[in-house]
Amino acid sequence: MGRAIVITSGKGGVGKTTATANLGSALALLGHSVVLVDADTGLRNLDVVMGLENRIVYHSVDVIRGKCTLQKALIKDRRLDNLWILPASQTDDKDAVTPDDMRRIVNELKATHDFVIIDCPAGIEQGFKNAIAGADEAVVVATPEVSSIRDADRVVGLLAQSDVPARLIVNRISPHLVKRGDMLSQSDVIEILALELLGTVPLDDQIIATTNKGMPAVLEGKSLAAKELMRIAKRLAGMEVEAPSDVGFFTRIGRALGLSASPA
Amino acid sequence: MWNNIRSMFTAKSSREVAKGRLQLVLAHDRTGLEGGRLQEMREEIAKVIARYVQIDAEAVEIEIETRSRETQLTVSSRIQTRTAT
Repeated sequence: MGRAIVITSGKGGVGKTTATANLGSALALLGHSVVLVDADTGLRNLDVVMGLENRIVYHSVDVIRGKCTLQKALIKDRRLDNLWILPASQTDDKDAVTPDDMRRIVNELKATHDFVIIDCPAGIEQGFKNAIAGADEAVVVATPEVSSIRDADRVVGLLAQSDVPARLIVNRISPHLVKRGDMLSQSDVIEILALELLGTVPLDDQIIATTNKGMPAVLEGKSLAAKELMRIAKRLAGMEVEAPSDVGFFTRIGRALGLSASPA
Repeated sequence: MWNNIRSMFTAKSSREVAKGRLQLVLAHDRTGLEGGRLQEMREEIAKVIARYVQIDAEAVEIEIETRSRETQLTVSSRIQTRTAT
């Protein structure tokens, strides 16, 4: 029986879909069988981020309406043998899916795969409720900004109400801005949200370039962000990895030498 | 070290400002109370306190603080003691 993990954030545009694509691909690279579920009915994007947009025939609403089987709606990734995606419908709206529908789909996928990674839509309405319905655990993505953290806090409260345990990814952190005092640090975000940290992904131009190509960054593997996403995937899979550092290597050295202040 | 020295002479960094704003906004968000309801509660509490001791209703203050997902609401009020004029 696999694990269902929902990737959520409250606020849009903080990197949920990119995180879903990369964590799913990383878990598949590690040898697990993975299905990515796009839960953003009406505004599907996981397919383009994964570069699989030309191969969609059926989607989750077709499965719910009995137009096809679940297995038939899954698209297999060509780059990895053990990675599939279940696309969302682009023409239906959020109430075409109910929490019960999602629970049924996710449970069926869990029976045949190690990980079911659910890409949650922005917001806290029907789409969110559907996306978390079948999830065993959640990963909350937040960028170090007031608006993103505020929305993440709302989502953390709602997940707790639904008994879904949550962990945190701090996305798009810029070490030099943190150092200059112009960005909230990883430890600020953890302190405020009081969540266990899975990892911190640095702001990285490479992510934009790989996303343009429809290629999850972890499959190229060179960028800083890709390395961190790989590390987060290992932690998700329960592998031992070194705890993430606060702002980076040089600050760590600086701190060891007593040159910079310890994090607040 | 340098950061500490610098902070003695310069204004708050935007990071500190952001953190302060977040803590305030989250403390209020986590109560689930809109501003108007909070005002109503303050007035009602002032009335209850005034039944027992002499107070200036305007001097009743409500403070909401949050730390590690625990949110604390503190009501404080200066009372007029009998020895005071």
